[in-house]
Amino acid sequence: MSRRLTPYLFMAPAVLVLGVALLYPIGYMIYASFLDWNPSQRIGQAEFVGLRNYTWLWSDGAFRESLAVTLKFAFFVVSLEMIIGVGLALLLDRNIRGMTALRTIFILPMMIAPIVVGLVWRYMYHPTVGIFNKTLNALGLESVPWLSDSFWALTSIIIADIWQWTPFIFILSLAALQSLPRSALEAARIDGASGWDQIWHIKLPLMMPVLIVTCLLRLIDAFKVLEVVLVMTNGGPGLSTEIMALRISRTASEFRELGVAAAMSNYLLIFLMVLTVIMFTYTKLSEARTARLRQAAEEG
Amino acid sequence: MNLSKTVTGVVAGLALASSAFANPYEEYAGQTLVVNFPAHPHYDAVMKVLPAFTEETGIKVEVDQLQYLKMREKQTLELTKNRGDYDLIAYVVFSKADYVYAGQLENLARFYMNPKLADPAYDAEDLIDGYVTNIGVAGGDKGYLDGPTGSLFGVPFGSETSILGYRKDIFEKHGLEVPTTYDEMLDIACKIPELEPGMGGLSSRAASGHHASHAFLLHLAPLGGRIFDDEWNVTVNNEAGVKAAEALKTIVDCGPEGSRSFGFAEAGAAFLQGDTAMFLDSTVFAGSINDPEKSNVVGKVGWAMHPEGVRRGSQTGGFGIGIPTNAQNKDAAFLLMQWLTSKKADKLIALEGGNPSRYSTHADEEVNAKFPHMAVFGEALQHADPDWRPIIPVWGKINADLGTTLSQVLTEDLDIQEALDGVAERTAAVMDEAGYNTWK
Repeated sequence: MSRRLTPYLFMAPAVLVLGVALLYPIGYMIYASFLDWNPSQRIGQAEFVGLRNYTWLWSDGAFRESLAVTLKFAFFVVSLEMIIGVGLALLLDRNIRGMTALRTIFILPMMIAPIVVGLVWRYMYHPTVGIFNKTLNALGLESVPWLSDSFWALTSIIIADIWQWTPFIFILSLAALQSLPRSALEAARIDGASGWDQIWHIKLPLMMPVLIVTCLLRLIDAFKVLEVVLVMTNGGPGLSTEIMALRISRTASEFRELGVAAAMSNYLLIFLMVLTVIMFTYTKLSEARTARLRQAAEEG
Repeated sequence: MNLSKTVTGVVAGLALASSAFANPYEEYAGQTLVVNFPAHPHYDAVMKVLPAFTEETGIKVEVDQLQYLKMREKQTLELTKNRGDYDLIAYVVFSKADYVYAGQLENLARFYMNPKLADPAYDAEDLIDGYVTNIGVAGGDKGYLDGPTGSLFGVPFGSETSILGYRKDIFEKHGLEVPTTYDEMLDIACKIPELEPGMGGLSSRAASGHHASHAFLLHLAPLGGRIFDDEWNVTVNNEAGVKAAEALKTIVDCGPEGSRSFGFAEAGAAFLQGDTAMFLDSTVFAGSINDPEKSNVVGKVGWAMHPEGVRRGSQTGGFGIGIPTNAQNKDAAFLLMQWLTSKKADKLIALEGGNPSRYSTHADEEVNAKFPHMAVFGEALQHADPDWRPIIPVWGKINADLGTTLSQVLTEDLDIQEALDGVAERTAAVMDEAGYNTWK
């Protein structure tokens, strides 16, 4: 009996610390979301209001707008980054000279602090001295109101995000591609499968578990993006780029409504958890399918 | 006779000795004060003057200087502690409502009543009235102005008003008169792009949120408007409100390219780069104009008062300093506050490029010789309006809504009346929830 317990006893402190470190802040946030809490008060002084913060949010037009902007932003950045990142990986999955250097250059944007990315792109989008409008004017074209028009402001942020995060998808996709069983691809080639056939019927299905996790990680990040938007547009014009993380930050610091900000964070948390469960379930199914494919490839 | 002479001599000697050694700072010499200041041109100037305080008093000062939004965040946490780390804090004007309402700033009456602490030569009458009311006083009219029930919780320090900067060379070239009224200013703002192709009329902040709201409020007071009337009824959507929003739209439409996304820094940069002929905003910006490293318009800028609409009314804002209720060294902190805002230090700080808070500093010959614009600023301060923007705890929310809605007016051509009606409706709901209609 004691022998069986020993491993658990050794693990207990680590599990306890991890549990407290992980769960305490989440518990605190959940508790705060039930309070009418101003940052000038201590949490103990705040009034308990039950679910009021959660229900009130749905009557707040700015919150609904911010949710719509976040969904739009996440959909476009993740879709486009997946298409470009995976496409580049498929294109460059071969023995090219200087591939190592190319890969290093590709991952550089990921290594830059988001706040710097925001500042750099903001400057590039500058109406008069920015590189984009200068180039357009040099070509005889009209300037684009990159950050001062609702449509262009969101588009500009999406472009900056794609620039920074496509390399992440590229690197993971390339690693997945390079770990595929060469025998399966060889067999397909011998059987006369075209390049497209290999991509659609072998490479992409086999890469699917990695792609799903990659997509999930990007989705989670896209829902939490803050600094780039803060620096580039601060949510404007109007509310056209006020993504959820920015709304949460404003609610907490400008409006000084910590309870409402916590409720918004919890909505985001619930949404991402549901998304994670769905994607992990799909990953499991996909992994099983991949295993069958690999087995078939190895047997065939 | 001899005895009398001796007694007189002893008394005189003692009096002389006591006056020679009278030092109100003596008790506090050796103490270390921790203060929290923002990273701001005024406070950069303060840092150059601060060693003189330690030299004179023996009180050491440690400064925690932070970017001002970070400063506010840190203060929010600091001020809720039982024992705070800060003895003196600088606070941005809209924090006055939050800090005073939460009982986190000391009422300064007990310090000014203390003869050991209060310097009789302080001359509080010389402090700019609009700044004192706007930044220092709470509990009077509307809760945030002076009045029979008001008290002093802070002293203006790094305060700002609004002023019109204009390009003397451009105005002279085209024979333009410096605008004194809103009609003249708007007229010239839209003439400039025709007279000087590629140049905007007036650069204004207009970015969504705080910047658009600030720019609108700059025009609202002189054009006769207020966000609320004296009974807290929302009046932002009345005729004056519409006129102020129209003025902002005209300015932005005739402004430099991209001005719809300008914050304060970009609006200032456009003027410094020579992309625009006028600039109407805070005086804090004036220090950069003649700095060749930052400005292309050195020696070309003149200053004038904020133009008049139906009345004069320039902004009041910036920072004040106060003593947190959880401070550890309150008396010494008061002595520092008093020293920093004294006539002597106000002038020293102004000479280092800071924003003076006293009428006498604006009129000082030495200061005017170094910064010729200071006299105009002093004149503008006679009209500084402490009520140009409400300082109430729910203002952050109203400000954000007003600013994002105005941004839609500027970028999406939303109808002005409709937009302001929407703001008024939502503001009324916020005010109702915050209890401002309880006594109606």
